[in-house]
Amino acid sequence: MSGRRTVRWLGVWLLALASIGAGAPAGTRGAPPRRDAAAAADMVALARAQGPEGAPTRVLDGEVVIGANDLARLLDATKFWRADVRKLVLRTHDHRILLTADNPFVLVDDATLRLPSPVRSFKGELQVPVALVDSLPRDSLIARLLFDPSRRVVLQVPPGGVVGAPRLALEDGGTRLVFAVDRPGGAWIAARSRAHFRVHFSGFFAGALPDTLPEASLVRAVRLLPSVAGSVFEFELSPRAAGFRLVREPAAGQVALVFTDREREDFEAFAPEGPPGPRALKVVVLDPGHGGSEAGAAAAGLVEKDLTLSLARVLKIEIERRLAVRVVLTREDDRDLSLDQRAERANRARADLVLSLHFDGFTGPGARGATAYCPPATFGSSLASERMAPSGAIAVLPWRDVATRHAVRSRELAEDLLSSLDLRGQGPTRLREILPCPLLGVNAPGLMLECATLTSDADRERLQREGALNELAASIVEGIEAYRRGE
Amino acid sequence: MRRLLIGALVIAVLAWAAWRWMHPPSGPAATGDSKPDSVSTGFKAVRLYFAAPSGDSLIGESRELAEAQSLHERVAALVGELDRGSSGSGLAALPAGTSVLRVYLDDRGLMTLDLSRAFQQGFHGGSSAEYLATASLVRTIGANLPEVKRVLLVCGGAPIASLGGHLPLDRPIEVSELP
Repeated sequence: MSGRRTVRWLGVWLLALASIGAGAPAGTRGAPPRRDAAAAADMVALARAQGPEGAPTRVLDGEVVIGANDLARLLDATKFWRADVRKLVLRTHDHRILLTADNPFVLVDDATLRLPSPVRSFKGELQVPVALVDSLPRDSLIARLLFDPSRRVVLQVPPGGVVGAPRLALEDGGTRLVFAVDRPGGAWIAARSRAHFRVHFSGFFAGALPDTLPEASLVRAVRLLPSVAGSVFEFELSPRAAGFRLVREPAAGQVALVFTDREREDFEAFAPEGPPGPRALKVVVLDPGHGGSEAGAAAAGLVEKDLTLSLARVLKIEIERRLAVRVVLTREDDRDLSLDQRAERANRARADLVLSLHFDGFTGPGARGATAYCPPATFGSSLASERMAPSGAIAVLPWRDVATRHAVRSRELAEDLLSSLDLRGQGPTRLREILPCPLLGVNAPGLMLECATLTSDADRERLQREGALNELAASIVEGIEAYRRGE
Repeated sequence: MRRLLIGALVIAVLAWAAWRWMHPPSGPAATGDSKPDSVSTGFKAVRLYFAAPSGDSLIGESRELAEAQSLHERVAALVGELDRGSSGSGLAALPAGTSVLRVYLDDRGLMTLDLSRAFQQGFHGGSSAEYLATASLVRTIGANLPEVKRVLLVCGGAPIASLGGHLPLDRPIEVSELP
């Protein structure tokens, strides 16, 4: 959405504040603009979306007020309290706000404002009428705040602005999704696999995702994922989708995401997937984590480097017996092995699948279960390379990151393995899309599997039972079998 | 007598002029307030991220700190608070004793953060501990210093390949790429 629309939205909230009694006394800045119900609804959606910073308000003598500490936090301001004159200064960049206890006059930079009621002290903290947030300067040096009267919270509009609901249109041989955004330059492709295609926006999502999508659309589903900064949308795409293009249109205040079902030179390719159906599996490389001077995690007599080696030996027998494939271990005994040596052994064996075996350790009382780390489907489209390379330029994939070429199959393997562990009661399980050290320079689908958490009493008890490693190996082999079947 | 009076008057005028020269009038007339606010210590809210007890994610926590002037002081204060631990249900994710040695920030938002040896030597655990230590640090810096886009962690002035052998630290970590 355009900056003009955002200003209009903020204006609606100015009006909302006016309606709860802020008034417009002489000497105050600005006049409340026209009410716009649709825009107000959008902003309520924003407030209820994945959550810009906010602070609660309270009502004191009929006036809605916000605590000065919360106000300072939302403004990212430094507080200076002068007890002798009962004044509080909030300073943020070049702006200065002076609040005085039991006084309705507030000095904002060089302007004096009169609030509808005095700033007052309540339980040791100054309480400021929320009307103040409308009178604050509007520039890049101070956070934009708005008051949501329905929830009685003051919200901080994030620096990345807002992202509007996507509009979907079917085109000849393709599907186009258009997002209205404040900052089109803040959009980038975070993952390019068809099953988990992700786009990151710097702004917060204000709106609703479509409940249903047209049958003919190349987009089968859209989800909003949690994100630290901004919004991440994940799309599930039809296998017919052959390419994509992200078009940033700053003049129009929008970003268009276009998918095509035809091979076109002006479109980018998805991450490689390999043919559908059963997969050829001839060589499996097992990499027992740590070894030699590197013991890894340890708890109550269980040491990670010993467990990984024992599990690898059991797993080798089980895989050869049930899958009839060749299994190669990167280490057969307790020795130091560098990451380069591990990668070299896997590549030299021409692995169809690499499994780096580990056991986790984290001292949190609730930490337990298994975690899989698989390479992200960035495949040369990471944020850094997008920033450096102009659109359409060839992105060079460093050999270190070669495992990202196999990200789609690696993720499928991870999902199959974790599902098998969950079904056999060896969870809970979690999946993290991060390229782990043991896969650096490995040219094959693979993952690092933390098979259990040694610091968990429950997991340790399970691992110390007779036949525990055989049970674990059976679960892993079932996962590999499901992957081979292409499920 | 008259000369004495004139002399005293001249001295008084000169003394007043000298005093005014050394103590110029200050403070905005609108407030009637003459104390510049920089003479007192300011406090600022910061957002800290600690590990969830389940080890699955991070938990955010707000805290007030005395205002730091330089970039180094600000980052050192944040890392100091992470090292001190959570006042809620979160768990300290940084290896104990981690402190900031040097901080560099370039004009493209790349922060190079040189941490004490305790960051590497004090680390124990598996990949979750490693992930949470890194995420806690990078998210806390990203939340409080919006100008920082990427963070490169180094230790004792030297690059580090990894904390515990699971997650690579040889490259800068994008603040926005962390889940």
